[in-house]
Amino acid sequence: MAKKVREVEINSREDTLTLMGPDVRPWPVTPPPSPEEVAAVYARRKAEEFGKWCEDNLRIEYAKGKPEALQGVRVLSCGLWRMGHKFAAGLLGELGAEVINVEPPEGDPLRKLTPFGREEYMLEDKNGDKCGLDFIHELRNAYSVTLNLETEKGRELYTKLAQHADILIEEYPPGYMDQLGIGYRQLSQINPRLIYCWIGEHGQWGPMKDKVSKYGQWMLDPFGQAACSFIHNTGFPEDLLPRGKGGDPTRSGVWFADYVAGEQTAVNALAALFWRDEFSGEGQFIETTAAEALMDILDFDITWYGFNKSIKARTGGWDPNLNQYAWNPCKDGYMMIGGQTDRLWYRIGMCIERELPIFGRLIHEDPLLKEMAARNALQALTKTYTMTTMWLRNINRVEAEEKLMQYEIAAGPLLYIDEVAEFPHFKYRPWVNVLEDEEYGTLMYAESTNAYQMRTPARVKWLGRPLGKDNAEIFMKYIGLGQTELRELKEQGVV
Amino acid sequence: MKDQRVTRIEDLPGPKSQGELEEMKMPYEEYCRKVFAPGQEKTKPESLKGIRWLSTTMYIFTPHSVANLAELGAECIKVEMPRMGDPMRHTSPFNECYLYPLHDSRPMTGTGLGFTNANPNEYYISMDYHVPEMKEAFYRLVKLSDGLTECYRPGTFDRWKQSYRYLQELNPRFIYVWGGGFGYGPKVFGGSYDILGQAHAGLASVTGFHEDFGGHCTKHSNWCIDWYSGTQITVAILAALYWRRKTGLGTMIEFSQVQAATRCLGYTVPLYGRFGIVRQRWGNWDTQLCVHGIILCGKSDYPDEPNPQLKYEARYAVVSAFNDPDFKELCAIIGRNDLWDQYKTLQQRVRPQAQIAIYKALEEWAADKTRSQVVKTLTDAGLLAMPVMNDKEVYECEHFRQRGTIRWLDDPVFGDVLIQSGYSCGLMSKTPRRVNWIWRPVGADNVKIYHEMLGYPMSKIEEWYEKNLI
Repeated sequence: MAKKVREVEINSREDTLTLMGPDVRPWPVTPPPSPEEVAAVYARRKAEEFGKWCEDNLRIEYAKGKPEALQGVRVLSCGLWRMGHKFAAGLLGELGAEVINVEPPEGDPLRKLTPFGREEYMLEDKNGDKCGLDFIHELRNAYSVTLNLETEKGRELYTKLAQHADILIEEYPPGYMDQLGIGYRQLSQINPRLIYCWIGEHGQWGPMKDKVSKYGQWMLDPFGQAACSFIHNTGFPEDLLPRGKGGDPTRSGVWFADYVAGEQTAVNALAALFWRDEFSGEGQFIETTAAEALMDILDFDITWYGFNKSIKARTGGWDPNLNQYAWNPCKDGYMMIGGQTDRLWYRIGMCIERELPIFGRLIHEDPLLKEMAARNALQALTKTYTMTTMWLRNINRVEAEEKLMQYEIAAGPLLYIDEVAEFPHFKYRPWVNVLEDEEYGTLMYAESTNAYQMRTPARVKWLGRPLGKDNAEIFMKYIGLGQTELRELKEQGVV
Repeated sequence: MKDQRVTRIEDLPGPKSQGELEEMKMPYEEYCRKVFAPGQEKTKPESLKGIRWLSTTMYIFTPHSVANLAELGAECIKVEMPRMGDPMRHTSPFNECYLYPLHDSRPMTGTGLGFTNANPNEYYISMDYHVPEMKEAFYRLVKLSDGLTECYRPGTFDRWKQSYRYLQELNPRFIYVWGGGFGYGPKVFGGSYDILGQAHAGLASVTGFHEDFGGHCTKHSNWCIDWYSGTQITVAILAALYWRRKTGLGTMIEFSQVQAATRCLGYTVPLYGRFGIVRQRWGNWDTQLCVHGIILCGKSDYPDEPNPQLKYEARYAVVSAFNDPDFKELCAIIGRNDLWDQYKTLQQRVRPQAQIAIYKALEEWAADKTRSQVVKTLTDAGLLAMPVMNDKEVYECEHFRQRGTIRWLDDPVFGDVLIQSGYSCGLMSKTPRRVNWIWRPVGADNVKIYHEMLGYPMSKIEEWYEKNLI
């Protein structure tokens, strides 16, 4: 019940935006399950004691009182437009590394991007500068400094910063930094312990290396996705949806290849750090690309081509390797059901058979569906999913989930972000979380995936950063630049 | 001790020898080729030499967290159920391709290609943990290892007295990873798969064509989210190893895959939190940039090939011209200067109606061209474009061949196999990743591990084998 009636006039979508803020509509809308309710869940499988131990040792609420794994590691990150270096530095920053993000004085162009050009979805910092949400969400726990690398002074300061860094993550076009005299070749002479990572779409060398258009435009994801057969493999085939209406090769909705390259960069950099500290004392040069990092995780696809010249085709929401393993339509959306081994496969069947007896007769008793591997043949998939959808089409996602969970089957509804934010398990952990940011107010964000650990959990301290906010502190600390000098440099357009 | 009064050339910055001086003067590409030196991996050291990791995992997600370690040089031991092995071994696209044998007692059953790349370079042992008799062997392994990744339902290992609660007593340096769908909380016992993560976490809701265009939520092909989440576990493991060097203490990491798919949603989450806006799908275009999308071209590059993947599908191209001068040039090339007059700023171009009009014009222009013609016309004009490549083209691509990312491996058990993994997740100049073998049959290294490493007599191992315990 609303306590008081407010006078609002709504003429356009824009007038509603202020009505949706976290102060008006706090998250979560309904409270998460209580610890008592969850304790009852543990008890149902006789795991009360273990459940309690997990909650006592892993809960995110205790994370901030624990040490940070990468305390003392200093990371320099610089790049424009893309997600790769931000995600890589973000993963390290969440685990406690000190991340310094270097941008040109005019800022990373990603700061200016907003969905469909809608400026009203950008957030203002205290200086009144607007920033896009992609940038805010992905730049985590990072200090922001500005340096004009096109100037000699800027390069000198950058080199001095790099002397203090353990890891440097760079994402500029191939050879750009080298040509400026601040690439791996030069910096490794000054700081031989430096672990230098370059991230790109296709590579900084080789016949198909990254290009810049003649007007200076960069290659961005999905150039990485397209170069490794991911796009060719993703989406619905023309037999299921008409071409041009979804029956086409489909890119990921997000810049997925950049994320994959970013996390592999973090892995490579940490492995190099281990080798440096444990054995050699030497840094090294690392190159990760979106196309190749994503290709690495395309299952066996290229291996399959080598086996019998198969070119993987699109299979929509189905999987040619597993049965059951798909989402299929139900009354109010899609329901995902998975279970491949006999134990799980028959459990799914038992659940469905309870309400659709014919399922047992047609599926369980079919001799062609008895053997686990044989169930992956195309006709087997078609038959199984047709029968499953016969059951699903009459019920809602919640009902289906409840029924399948009674049989402890890996199943879940396909959710949109509003449903994700209110899904009980997401709220309980919480996996989408809010923090009160000094600059941008209350922000909702996807929680760090490494935040659930016993001794050194990851944590998000702040998101985004006004451009050049930490110039004074960082330049004083690592280079010894005072206020007067900094002001001069600012006038010269260096910072 | 070095005499501080003497300046030595090797302490000064700059090249130290003729060779290094030449290196500094080389063209950059040549330099990269020289330091990364594909094919020379085995002449260089391994980053994680001396780390031993146990993998009591199945499927793709948790195995991949260990695969990364194994490629980086850790000694990894994969533990499987006797005879059956990892369920992924029984998985192959449309039940087509298998490599034989699965196990010495099942020579006619092969390992499916679904198992590829998830567990390279590892030693394969089998063990039935349910049985108290095997407990001691398991504990011995734990005492001799740095860590373990497991994927069983929460509480299962605890019931078998091998959860972190017990293992930290045996080995305080032990790093224990549980990877699964959900972790502690109301859906703790919910199982999970890649596709569940995609569905549950909101990733599928923003991938694919919009409902208004006739599209549906679309799955990322392959088991992308499994692999992607596994790599994030490796990040956590390496950070834990770093911290252990300082403190000597292990830890427990609980990692939920469903959450990892939400992590890559970018602006989706804060946009909902602040403005209540639920992000929808936008097909092959980009919500923040235009032109930056995939278009359908009229003609095929391979009109005479029987394979429909070549004949009909090799018709898509990525076109990217979102900056003003690029877009202006693009409009001139396709003969639609009116579009440039109408949409002179990115902000105007990226509006939905504008995107619809622009991509329609692009596809009309491409209707009588092949994908290669489109890409050539645009790149000759200095713009950015590329074909959407399929597996055949990726395999034949000179770029990946030169960089060593795709290569044939002469596997010690299975012979020639084409691999795309391991060498492609990053080039490292001094401690490169490597692939030694793709996998080995179930229990292939039982003698090596139980006898040679743990010291059980051969008669014991035979007894276990007879009783189906290994």
